[in-house]
Amino acid sequence: MVSINTVMIILLYGATFSGILALISSGFTLIFGVSRILNFAHGAFFMMGAYIGIYFVQQLNLDPILSSLISIILVGIFSIAAYITIIYPVIKNEVMTIIVTLALALLIEQVILLTYGEFGLSYPRLVAGTLTIGDVVIPMVRLTILAISILTILGLWIFIDRTRIGKEINAASQDPEGAILIGLNVNKIYAITIFVSAVLAALSGILYSQMYAANPFQILNSLILAFSIVILGGLGSVKGSIISSFIVGFIYIAVTTLIGARWSEFIALAIIIVILIVKPTGLFGVEE
Amino acid sequence: MTESEKQVSRRDFLKLAAAAGVAFVVGAGAGYYAGSQKKPEVITKTVPGTPPTSPTPPPTSPTPTKSEVVIGVIAPMATKQGMVQRNAAELAIREINEAGGVLGMPVRLVWGDTKLNPDVAVSEFRRLVTVEKADFMTGGFSSGIMNAMMEPMAELKIPFLADASSPGHPAKVHEEYDKYKYWFRITQNNGATFAWDLADMFDMLDEKGYDVSHIYIIRDEHIWTDAVMSYLQPELDKRGITVAKDVKVGRGYTEYEPLLVEANDMGIQVVVPILAIAGTGDVLAKQWANLKLRLLLAGHDLAALDLGFYEATGGAAEGYIFLADGGVVNTAPPTDMCKQFIQNYTAQYGHPPEAHQGFGAYDAVYLFKKVVEMAHDDGVENPFDPDVVVQYLEKFNPDNPINLTRTIAFYPPGDKNKFDHDLVWGDNYVRNWISQWQNGKQYVIRGKIKNADMIEPPWF
Repeated sequence: MVSINTVMIILLYGATFSGILALISSGFTLIFGVSRILNFAHGAFFMMGAYIGIYFVQQLNLDPILSSLISIILVGIFSIAAYITIIYPVIKNEVMTIIVTLALALLIEQVILLTYGEFGLSYPRLVAGTLTIGDVVIPMVRLTILAISILTILGLWIFIDRTRIGKEINAASQDPEGAILIGLNVNKIYAITIFVSAVLAALSGILYSQMYAANPFQILNSLILAFSIVILGGLGSVKGSIISSFIVGFIYIAVTTLIGARWSEFIALAIIIVILIVKPTGLFGVEE
Repeated sequence: MTESEKQVSRRDFLKLAAAAGVAFVVGAGAGYYAGSQKKPEVITKTVPGTPPTSPTPPPTSPTPTKSEVVIGVIAPMATKQGMVQRNAAELAIREINEAGGVLGMPVRLVWGDTKLNPDVAVSEFRRLVTVEKADFMTGGFSSGIMNAMMEPMAELKIPFLADASSPGHPAKVHEEYDKYKYWFRITQNNGATFAWDLADMFDMLDEKGYDVSHIYIIRDEHIWTDAVMSYLQPELDKRGITVAKDVKVGRGYTEYEPLLVEANDMGIQVVVPILAIAGTGDVLAKQWANLKLRLLLAGHDLAALDLGFYEATGGAAEGYIFLADGGVVNTAPPTDMCKQFIQNYTAQYGHPPEAHQGFGAYDAVYLFKKVVEMAHDDGVENPFDPDVVVQYLEKFNPDNPINLTRTIAFYPPGDKNKFDHDLVWGDNYVRNWISQWQNGKQYVIRGKIKNADMIEPPWF
């Protein structure tokens, strides 16, 4: 019999883990949905957010929150630079786009390995303390991460659905040539989209390293996880990615708590495969 | 934007996935090629500090055609565990050359990178012995890689003073002595001895009034922890300790908070990590300190041995009790030579040895020098003969240890635990000292070289 405490652990810890997954996967699917760029450097942007923030705190003694904000903006700017210099020249060739973004990710991984080594690095805490809900103790940092994740996802929805730029992004994603005909600058739209996508990745990297640790190997691990979630949700669907993030996150924590940590990744991936067998286009995908 | 228009076709997706695969291969290949271009180096400089051994005997000609002694170091050079072995061997060789070399001959270091890949490790091992003409090998790290390297070692009959803690390696020596007798473990004790040190840790906690009647174990999903558990269970039975839960975690696992909360809910006071492969001990320590539950974290965690561990966890490791695999923490050198080595290493590289494997590599070089000189003094025609080296290494048994950075002795062939050629475990030899992070430093908190009392985590 599963106790109330166990259910609470699954709900509370599952929600926070899912929140981070939702941030990283929504950014990954957003840029793909809009520009068809399969950005394999997304995991690198994720870890860059954490490492740049840590650098500002440790080397320049900046406040962790200020460091986080600077880091997020820098990663966003870096992503635009990467778009202009290495993605744009090959944007019409999807295969080359993958190769150059993956090469960029591997390069960034090497830079981090050479600078910080292979061991995990903790991001200075933005908040400390714990909260007891029922009988379950949960660190404040988890609740803060959950709140930031929810607010960011809401912000992303408002940005895409309610702002002029968001509507332009929508238009460009539906029909790039039509968007050009009505006078929209599609390249600018793509650049803005990759900026937003990178900002989401950097923010999720900072939140991740608050709860766990920054680690260069997370560049590829996070990419694989985000890729799985995005495929489950339906490639290009932000809504699908967010919902599948919560599915995967809750499954992961539930399996860890009820069956055992050794099975968590296996069962989460097995369920993803089963869902894709039943619905090959993903949860929110549509038949070709 | 409509959902249908955002989808990619299955054909496109397959095409993209294939391209990703190609890119992975290209990237990995480029990395391997770049790494394989590194050349072995010849050690010529001298090192500050006092050589910890007496000068070598005057030049003689043990083998008429031999003009130098070549020592090979093989390890994953992109890791601290690899670099420290190369640095420590380099330091020992510089000191030895300054003092006149081995039997009057200069010593040259050659090294290879395993890249943590058994195929690469085997090729590199073979290259160092057959091309670079290494007289003797040291190094290792990772049991799987060691298993692979034991084959060219046996084929080429080259003495190998090795790293990696699996009980499987000495068991091979036990079962096929003639084939594998060239293998000796120099860096740390057999992994199974963690069980004996963990049992001692429970005794210590019991003496201090903590409830160790039920423990919560978090361990690697790996064969090495199965070996530890097989030795630990009888010790737990003797002490009436019950394993309330035994959780296995995979490589890179990070969700420790639900486990710690569960342990607390079960009324546990001691959570016992047995971790190396997971590689996320820093996350465990951080989440433990975040939760501030009344739980002691006390076990074996390879990550906690790392000198940068405290800083990496932002101080969350304060009060973390761990086993000092390899028998040394820098604040408590067990021998004078160890103290000297730490000083010389720090002077040379700007920091103390960054991983315990350094002590093993340093000892290996000096031990090789010692046995060759012993054989020469006994009038042996070729003291570099691998079988002679093995014969003289075996002279350092529990009744006749040698003081290097640790007190080294090897279990003789035919050991009842199949620990043949393993480091002898114990207070008077090498053991995994019960240690603790306190104010950013590692201290030994029990046993012969204890240099601090145990403290409680700050929130207790």
